[in-house]
Amino acid sequence: MDPFVFIFPEAASHKNFLKKLPHIREYTISLARGEKLPAVLLDTFDFELLESAKMLFQLEEKLLCFDVRAGRMVEQLAPKKWSFAADLPEGPVTSQLTGGSNLRAFLPVAEIEICLLHGLLLDDEEKTRARLSTLSMQRGQKAVGVGSTVYLRGYGQAHTDLCRWLEKLGAIACPDVGQVFSLLDIKRELYTAKPIVQIHPDAPARESAVMIINAFMQTARRNENGVAADYDTEFLHDYRVSLRKVRSVLSLFKGVFEVSATACLKEDFASLMQKTNTLRDLDVYLLNKEQYFSLVPAETHEGLHILFMHLAGERKKEHKSVSKFIRSKVYLEDIGRLEKLFADGLALAAGPKGQEKSLIFASGLILKRYAKVCKIARSIDEKTPDEVVHQLRINCKKLRYLMEFFAPLFPKDDLKALVKALKSLQDNLGNFNDYSVQQIFLRQILREKMSGFRGSELKVAESVGALTAMLNRLQNNERGQVMENFILFDSPETRTIFTKLFHTEASVHENNSLLQ
Amino acid sequence: MKIIACYSNKGGVGKTATSVNLAYASAMAGRSTLLCDLDPQGASGFYFRVKPSKKLRNKAFFKDVQGFLDAIRASDFDNLDLLPANLTYRDFDIFLSRMKNSRSRLKKALMELDSDYDVIILDCPPNISLLSENVFKTADKIVVPVIPTTLSVRTFEQLNDFFKENEYQRKKLLPFFSMVQKSKKLHKDTMLTLRKNYKSLLKNYIPFSSEIEKMGVYRAPVMTFAGKNSAADAYSKIWHEIEAQVKIGK
Repeated sequence: MDPFVFIFPEAASHKNFLKKLPHIREYTISLARGEKLPAVLLDTFDFELLESAKMLFQLEEKLLCFDVRAGRMVEQLAPKKWSFAADLPEGPVTSQLTGGSNLRAFLPVAEIEICLLHGLLLDDEEKTRARLSTLSMQRGQKAVGVGSTVYLRGYGQAHTDLCRWLEKLGAIACPDVGQVFSLLDIKRELYTAKPIVQIHPDAPARESAVMIINAFMQTARRNENGVAADYDTEFLHDYRVSLRKVRSVLSLFKGVFEVSATACLKEDFASLMQKTNTLRDLDVYLLNKEQYFSLVPAETHEGLHILFMHLAGERKKEHKSVSKFIRSKVYLEDIGRLEKLFADGLALAAGPKGQEKSLIFASGLILKRYAKVCKIARSIDEKTPDEVVHQLRINCKKLRYLMEFFAPLFPKDDLKALVKALKSLQDNLGNFNDYSVQQIFLRQILREKMSGFRGSELKVAESVGALTAMLNRLQNNERGQVMENFILFDSPETRTIFTKLFHTEASVHENNSLLQ
Repeated sequence: MKIIACYSNKGGVGKTATSVNLAYASAMAGRSTLLCDLDPQGASGFYFRVKPSKKLRNKAFFKDVQGFLDAIRASDFDNLDLLPANLTYRDFDIFLSRMKNSRSRLKKALMELDSDYDVIILDCPPNISLLSENVFKTADKIVVPVIPTTLSVRTFEQLNDFFKENEYQRKKLLPFFSMVQKSKKLHKDTMLTLRKNYKSLLKNYIPFSSEIEKMGVYRAPVMTFAGKNSAADAYSKIWHEIEAQVKIGK
């Protein structure tokens, strides 16, 4: 029997409930009411908890988590300051939090006064037949109560009686946390790193391009604070991905804007992104720390430890400079100018394809890119230089971006199937690239940074050597799988969907030879 | 799922107290536990304030497995449920006769719970009846409380012989000393002798304690109201010894 997860939408009825509850016939109710406690509601920037219908409260030295879908309220001791689920000791709350990305920090959303109450429905022998917990929340003048019942096996009737009683008092089913947020007047700006821009098939391509760029500009800008404050590494990641997507639109949507303006914009965005390259590289390194330690023999761990201490120090410096930059007047003026340019799309001169209908334009671009991916992939054999594999990766990524940008123009399920088919190949190529970039980074340390490890040069060099060898082996493994993954991607079904979805007179004519 | 039977062919040795407290210790150790009260004289259900429902008194009740499952009641403690059979002798016989091919039927009924419980503890009736013999076959371990007195030791030896004669696995038997009064020379001597003969005897023992008797007043496992009391502590130690001998998992 499922628990009844309820909400008292009116504060008054919640207070009544406390007074009236002990009069359910046949039972007595034992209430253990907690005191009113100041608490802070926590969630990640992208509201992972809200999305999964959970509420997390930080109290003095305790955490309280209410899982609305499961109707479960759990508590555990916790330090006053922490950021990530991994910072917490094992416990019932921690296990509620580890389902998410684990990369996002938990940040304060609102200060709320809470009061927890546990009740037992007892029979004449003082046996518990059902339980309930309620959580009253007060934020300024706004108040709301939520709670859930616990059915005890074999005592279905008592549980039903309790639920009916709660309903009589004004409790209604609480399906998610959104209602609690609005009743407490907590403002939330929902965030997604992947905004879907509703473009119209017949809209001019230029207009659609402006809309897409605008959406990603907004996404990038929403991450600026988090990047500067360094809450977690996802802010920078999302910031960079958004800007990269803006650049992709500029370079992939050829002919939509006027040529020279496009070139200038591409340069502007490239230079913006360049400022954060090193920081992101260091983030990736530090995030992979555990994996690196597991790759190399234990004897080299000491050297690796010294290396990571160095990288952590470098990251600190690098973040300071990025943070300074992102808060600087120059940056704010620059990004403000670019933002304005796309917010007011008319300010940009159209290119020769600017007026083309979005659907036709999109189909042409996607089919062309698909043909290019196939052409490169089919040319790859064991002897092909790595450079060509990198080209394949870049083209796959472009194809993926194009399909994502134009997603609203095509049937959802078909597109999903294509993205899924592409994903394994992309993951494979992504790993191939990551391992390659990481080796270059390590070689650069050996070449240029060894003076920073005075006294430990040998140890560090030894671990860098061991790690490079392992990364090289992993890279070769990935390289060996590319052909196989492409064959999986290049199935007759995938080909059929590509032609079906993106088939237009113009696009087929242009790409016919490539698709054979 | 592991089945731990609590059995003694002699009454008044603290068998029900053992079932109740071991079940509680198992639940507190994070094991999802079902305590089956199969002893019509036992009072496992009483100690958990669980009333046998009207349905349970119905003779047709145990006809099917679903009925068996429906009879389960949650205790007031996490991870701990009860099957408060608490039947009269007559009902108990009916229950047995209904399960004609009882060996397999009982096993089946218990296996039915596999997805639900890590540990099933059976509080068995004291005589060697058809059900008890089933239990000897089905259970992974049979915990036997033994008071270190001549008479009590003799009944344990009889049980051991019974196992031998019927070719039951004697290694299933896990005897331990119950209601021990260390001040009594007889208790100390008996314990010493018996430990030499039975290596399977658990290291920990339950001292004689008025706290255990108070379970009838509190109607709860002794650990809940006398946590630091040596008898309460002894039960969790004994539980850990049992756990070490059976691999508990779903």
